[in-house]
Amino acid sequence: MPTLTVNGRRVTVDSDATLLDAARAAGVEVPTLCQFDGLEPWGGCRLCVVDMSQANWDDDWFKVVTACNHPVDAGMTVVTDSERIVETRRVVLDLLLARCPDTPLIQRLALEYGIEQTSYTPNPEPDDCILCGLCTRVCDHIGVSAISSINRGWGREIAPPFNEPPPDCIGCLACAEICPTNCIPFETSNVRRKIWGREFEMLRDPKTGEAVITKEQAEHFAERSGVPLTYFETSDRSKRKVMAKTFEKLQVVK
Amino acid sequence: MRMIYKVSVERCIACGKCELACAFAHGSEGRPAKTRINIHRRGPELGTPIVCFQCEEAACVAVCPTEALARNPETGAIDMVRSRCISCRMCVAGCPFGNMLWDETYHCVQKCDLCGGDPRCVPFCPTGAIAWVPVEEAAIRPEPLDRETLVFEGGI
Repeated sequence: MPTLTVNGRRVTVDSDATLLDAARAAGVEVPTLCQFDGLEPWGGCRLCVVDMSQANWDDDWFKVVTACNHPVDAGMTVVTDSERIVETRRVVLDLLLARCPDTPLIQRLALEYGIEQTSYTPNPEPDDCILCGLCTRVCDHIGVSAISSINRGWGREIAPPFNEPPPDCIGCLACAEICPTNCIPFETSNVRRKIWGREFEMLRDPKTGEAVITKEQAEHFAERSGVPLTYFETSDRSKRKVMAKTFEKLQVVK
Repeated sequence: MRMIYKVSVERCIACGKCELACAFAHGSEGRPAKTRINIHRRGPELGTPIVCFQCEEAACVAVCPTEALARNPETGAIDMVRSRCISCRMCVAGCPFGNMLWDETYHCVQKCDLCGGDPRCVPFCPTGAIAWVPVEEAAIRPEPLDRETLVFEGGI
């Protein structure tokens, strides 16, 4: 269990923790955009940068690292609010604000760092996507990989292959739900779900007609777990009804 | 001492107080529809309270792709860690007992977390249909109950 110093506060964390975990344990807030606890850290948004100095380095020697994916080490010194760190974050937010001038999340974060208006030329076609990669990473994580980032530089965007309805998508909506700016459009009802231009039929309970997941989602999981597809059909209400019937038999009544 | 839910089906009068207590305790704006303990109503004044069993080998934990569901060693409950949940709803489809609930308002799954070791629904049950008792006590088979003589306690 290494002990390190974050903004002058000593904190002990697990040896597999990251600098971000250590900062949070010390009660220090570090802004993040592409970080999500359930996913591998990526270090893509560059907003969580901190100054870090190892135990055996010179006292005034610090290195700028991304906190989300940098492992902790005993005796480390971490500074999250030095002048150059604040300046680095400000540049990142300035650029993000130029890309997404109308996105409330970015506007709010930029304002926290004193930026009201971007100093660059704002994007003539305002976009809500900040290219944080959460959607593609969550898709990879559940073993689907239906979407990915395409093109480079200015033209970089998140899209399914060939910009056509993705054949691998299972319609789980994890990408849309995780998106920090809610910029992935989708429609969902008890019968049908639509995302990335593809329509999905919901797996409906034969008795009540309720649905929570799509057929493709159930197939995906049935294949992995070896559980029959019909297992996923039953809605939670129907399952509780079956449970209630089982319990009824256990009654102790005169 | 390990505590456990003891549900006496014959005592439940389907009054819905536990549902309401749960909805209030979890900040779901007191809407009974957003409860984590559900009464299956099978007739007038006849109900079966169904609540998460906190299974030893839980299906919801097995299906979760991000380990958002994990056993809390202190309370023994399987807790949903909001910051890890990706809202894929696999646990809702996976739970064999229908105790994983999709909350449309907050766009996340809800499950019983035993209120951190002191379930709020229990003190509100007027007939003692749900009780929070040590494991050993729950195993004792109760005396047969005459529903006509069922005494209502005030509750809190």
